[in-house]
Amino acid sequence: MGRRLDATYNWLDERAALRSLVRKGLYEAVPVRGAWFYTLGSATLVLILLQLVTGIFLTLLYVPSVTEAWASLQFLKQHDVFGSIVRGIHLWSAYILLFVIGLHMVRTFFSGSYKRPRELNWVTGVILFVLVLGMAITGAFLPWDQAAYWTAVVVTNIPAYTPFIGSFVRALWRGGDAMGPITLVRTFGIHVWLLPAILFPLIGVHLALLRKHGEFGSYVNYRGAFRARECVDVPPPPAQRPIEPPYPAVPTDEMWAVPLQTEDFYPYQTFKDGLVSVVLVVVVFVLAVAIGAPLEAIADPSTTSYVPVPEWFFLPLDQLLLLVPQQLIPLILVLPVGGVVLLLGLPFIDRGPERNPFERPAVMVPGAFAVVFVVILTLLGSGRLFNQ
Amino acid sequence: MARSEPRRLSRRQFAILGTQLVAAGVTVLLAIPIVGFVLSPLFRRPAIYEAKVGDISGVPDGEPTKFTVSFPQGEWTSANVSAAVYVVKNGDNYKVLSNTCSHMQCAVHWEDSLRQFLCPCHGGLYNIDGQNVGGPPPKPLPQYVHRLDGTTLYVENRYTESI
Repeated sequence: MGRRLDATYNWLDERAALRSLVRKGLYEAVPVRGAWFYTLGSATLVLILLQLVTGIFLTLLYVPSVTEAWASLQFLKQHDVFGSIVRGIHLWSAYILLFVIGLHMVRTFFSGSYKRPRELNWVTGVILFVLVLGMAITGAFLPWDQAAYWTAVVVTNIPAYTPFIGSFVRALWRGGDAMGPITLVRTFGIHVWLLPAILFPLIGVHLALLRKHGEFGSYVNYRGAFRARECVDVPPPPAQRPIEPPYPAVPTDEMWAVPLQTEDFYPYQTFKDGLVSVVLVVVVFVLAVAIGAPLEAIADPSTTSYVPVPEWFFLPLDQLLLLVPQQLIPLILVLPVGGVVLLLGLPFIDRGPERNPFERPAVMVPGAFAVVFVVILTLLGSGRLFNQ
Repeated sequence: MARSEPRRLSRRQFAILGTQLVAAGVTVLLAIPIVGFVLSPLFRRPAIYEAKVGDISGVPDGEPTKFTVSFPQGEWTSANVSAAVYVVKNGDNYKVLSNTCSHMQCAVHWEDSLRQFLCPCHGGLYNIDGQNVGGPPPKPLPQYVHRLDGTTLYVENRYTESI
């Protein structure tokens, strides 16, 4: 039996180069110290895959139409226990995904892992973060209940404050100046096809770049001068990171920095990754079964009694909408867009060799201020809603 | 270098240029209908419908009164969409206001304790004439295009000014 499996493996390897693929994928040397922090990326991936699977199956019932969308989900809620759980998983794993992807980003920022030669890992990561936010916000439109409808009204209206082309952008999304049937179909198309069609290949690029440069870890994985080595302008030697064990125990001068102590990605890192992911998946399942996904009354554009409560991840921007006076409304676009531009530019602004977060006050302090700013906006927003 | 040895490189360069031209041609050919399709709602004139609000002779002075009207949803669906109409009477003058906030288009309502229209989203305030008097709204409440037939009010599904 074992011999026959070996033969099959060899046959496949000869034709599909399986062996080198598996080696590159599984037996990469990864830094040992701080490995629990390096599980956040794989946790993000697991949650995105959970979104993909549950999302695909939700299309087996959901109807993207203003007259049917709410009714189809109401049917799901009343007549389909398992379907409701699938929808619950889709919602709660989205919430937890947003949280985990944020932590992943903070970890990378903190450890300075975005520095040369990993600038594009960071840039693709920022784009992925924006795409995930886009998935979250377009997904919030789809139930077409009161919460979804008024979220859609406000969110599609924000780009209307773009100078010169604002109302065109709004009409492009809504399929007209006013909300209508096209708004929902377009948003559905963006949510299930357009954004995923960009998102998933980009995840592939993100992972390929990770394998290309190896995992940086953080400054504790490097010794003295080697902490800075990766940013120094030395040409990379042809074979930087051997893909097969044994790995060099001590980094040599010719190489770009290699962590002081490494172990195989599989099974050591994958075990930690798996543990973190399984805890998150169990939490998602428990929340999906215990709380599920809410569905409010069907969208009513003529309401005068409904008080919209934004999704929690939309709270900072919503609080900004409240705080920005009428003369400065374009600020609600300038701040988030500017934030994303700064994030994209980070590896090209912070180019020094230093990776120790305590030695990089020039980026750590503004970064901390930005995080505190967003947290304060979120707290203000939730406080306001609790008081209503 | 191509110019100095045109014969040796011309076939290769022709093939390179040809490949690039074909790729560009296919891209442009595909992009024209797709971009046109995506942009088409921008060039479509929205259908104008008129709806009967009702008899407004009973609307009290200085008390904004809410009516609900229903318009065809438009596009392909046969379903209707409802809209709120606030009729504000002041002697012989009256205003037919939408409850769409000029800030983020949330639904405002008349808050009698404040004697103002209040937007629940971001706290926008409008006075009884629909003028924006507080909070973030940059413009007054939009007014419906309307006509009065005796005491019966009709509104169209559009505003006097675009929002």
